[in-house]
Amino acid sequence: MLLYTVVPLEEVLEGFEQEPKPTIQLSLGALTVEAEFIGGFQARVVRVLSTDPRHFLEPSVQPGAIIHGRFF
Amino acid sequence: MFQQPQEERAPTRGAPALQTIKELGQMGTPGTQPGEEMPFHCLTIIGQIEGHLVLPPRNKTTKYEHAIPQLVAIEQNPKIKGLLVVLNTVGGDIEAGLAIAEMLKTMTTPVVSLVLGGGHSIGAPIAVAADHSVISETATMTIHPIRLSGLVIGVPQTYEYLDKMQERVIRFIVQHSRVAEPVLREMMFRTGELVRDVGTVLVGAEAVRVGLIDEVGGLGTALYRLSQLAAGQRGGFQCCSTP
Repeated sequence: MLLYTVVPLEEVLEGFEQEPKPTIQLSLGALTVEAEFIGGFQARVVRVLSTDPRHFLEPSVQPGAIIHGRFF
Repeated sequence: MFQQPQEERAPTRGAPALQTIKELGQMGTPGTQPGEEMPFHCLTIIGQIEGHLVLPPRNKTTKYEHAIPQLVAIEQNPKIKGLLVVLNTVGGDIEAGLAIAEMLKTMTTPVVSLVLGGGHSIGAPIAVAADHSVISETATMTIHPIRLSGLVIGVPQTYEYLDKMQERVIRFIVQHSRVAEPVLREMMFRTGELVRDVGTVLVGAEAVRVGLIDEVGGLGTALYRLSQLAAGQRGGFQCCSTP
């Protein structure tokens, strides 16, 4: 991997040693998203897992969107 | 592992849009009715372009694995007459950046890029990949060599590898803009302009003068160019007036 950026590498990678939060897969009707569980019946979308490109234009599942529900 | 959420997502209507603005700095299209589509879509390339490595959360990133299917959806939708790519990026992963640039270049949907603030490093190939590129007067583009980052051992091959990566970027920029190859190379290795580095900072009109970007302008200019390009395609289309 090569980074081609004007930002110093130490700044880009600050906090890199922190472990990312574990993710779960949620199926929401036709599409599946990978999300991190943030507690309180909420999960934050990390990425969309779908082969239908329209799903990637869906505002409610953009990365960062919060999904409410009982996941367990 | 598939788990079905037992409750419906999005408890209120306004909430998801608000979250998107908060998380991504993006918003939908206010004033449009559900089902009504805007003729032009807008893709913002902001912060670091994230590629093979998930960057720490302090970075604002553009995720290429999300941007690429969006481009596929836009290309396939005949109702979308054009795409405006707004760039304010500090660079990022070479391969992810070149992937986005190649996708933009090969789309039949008209694409206009607008560089606002900054279009540095790998932002340059993305800016030139559009059918027409616009830079705002105060926006800057930094052209500098690719430096070493990551786990590459310092042997002569390292230099050759970096050189090869650099050639990919130079070739793409030269092929898709009016800038001459010797001029681009000279700018990339110029000394005395960047404090701790070699390279060149191009501000607004300078980027146009060297042939990297087509025009100095803003949102109005970009949308006007986009509607001009769209008028020649897909059965004609008229939207925006001369800025």
